[in-house]
Amino acid sequence: MDTSREDVGISIRSAFLRKGTQQRFSLFALIIISILLIFLETIDAKPLNLIRSFVKDVIYRSAVVSTYPTKIFSGSYSLIQEHFGLYRNYNDLKKENEKLKNNRSESDFLEMENIQLRKLISEQIESESNLVSARVMLEEQSPYLNSFVINIGANKEIKNGMAVLDGKFFIGRIVDVNFFSSRILLVTDLNSKIPIISEPSGNHAILSGHGDSQPTLEYLSKNHQIQNGDKIYTSGKEGIFSPGISIGEVKRNKDKIEVQLYSKLNEITFVNINLEGIKDRK
Amino acid sequence: MGVTAKEFWGKFIDILPLIMLFFISLNGSSVINIKFFSINIHYILVYYWVLRQPQSLGYGFIFLSGLISDVILGFPLGVNSLSLLFVAGVAAYVRVVTVRITLINDWISFVPALLFANFVYFISLYYSNYSIEYFYLLKNSIFTFIFYPVLWGFFSLLLNLTKS
Repeated sequence: MDTSREDVGISIRSAFLRKGTQQRFSLFALIIISILLIFLETIDAKPLNLIRSFVKDVIYRSAVVSTYPTKIFSGSYSLIQEHFGLYRNYNDLKKENEKLKNNRSESDFLEMENIQLRKLISEQIESESNLVSARVMLEEQSPYLNSFVINIGANKEIKNGMAVLDGKFFIGRIVDVNFFSSRILLVTDLNSKIPIISEPSGNHAILSGHGDSQPTLEYLSKNHQIQNGDKIYTSGKEGIFSPGISIGEVKRNKDKIEVQLYSKLNEITFVNINLEGIKDRK
Repeated sequence: MGVTAKEFWGKFIDILPLIMLFFISLNGSSVINIKFFSINIHYILVYYWVLRQPQSLGYGFIFLSGLISDVILGFPLGVNSLSLLFVAGVAAYVRVVTVRITLINDWISFVPALLFANFVYFISLYYSNYSIEYFYLLKNSIFTFIFYPVLWGFFSLLLNLTKS
């Protein structure tokens, strides 16, 4: 019995402590360094942040280069797929065009009315100058993680928490800022929780991501009146984002209240970052 | 003095596991998701090569590759390194205690490697305040285990090429 226990001990020591053939480090030493790194990650100190920023910037740039062949391949694949779906798309667009023509006169009137009403209540209408554009360098979309890495960071006054838009539609927020790059946590990510308001029902809720393409509404009041097709906007309740940024539409699925996003997250190349709010608070 | 095509091919095959390791990390494709399936090829790659030909995949490189994965996937630095090093640790232990090379031996001993790695992964993310989809983690472990023989076959082929 003792002999077999000794054997296990010797084997474990041999596997973890010895450097082995052509190994420069022992496994044990590297495991300790990894644990130290995880602890260091919880410390928010300026020199550490600078090192982290530098390391991340270098790795992001290297990743852009190494993902180039994959991008070319997936680009060609989607191009072929698009060509196959051309006729169906044409018919869909034709129908949609008819529908839009009918809605246009109605929306023109509503837009004019909206402008007049906004002037009336002296609300500050957000100007284009508050937005800064960026290119998506890397995109990670998996059940573990849904995020983008963009090519601007502290150099363009980007800060954590800023709202990120695709055109005019909200898609996520900044969660990590380096010198020349930043990470966007998309609304579909497991860790994303965004306060929203629905329209016309006017209910407040939290939009939670689940790692798939459709986030859901949580923490709704019991007697809510949310219906299919209700529009979802940021409520601005947490005080970081501007209120009223469009996100998507409600799509009820059994007990779940899912939100169909206006933006197709897998087709985004450029994003706008809303500098308002956080910049004002300085 | 020039390098012949054969020598070049031999060198290339030698460092191919290393190239794959860094390609997977930099591409952020350590986990392949196809509809319901989810396979962690990073674990399989590290496990196989540490078990069969450790000189092709240094522990330092595995550590570095884990760090790159952490940065690319947006996890706290060290999480992936730690779980990959545990996979490598189990593989190194199995290498010490086994004599015969069979798929079944490798496959069964891959279970504790997966369990250790996912446990470490779970604990580190839990204490870093990251949300984890438990069902996804379980599904990923099961499919990684099921898919192991496929990559085992491919890597064995590669290993034979290296030796020849």
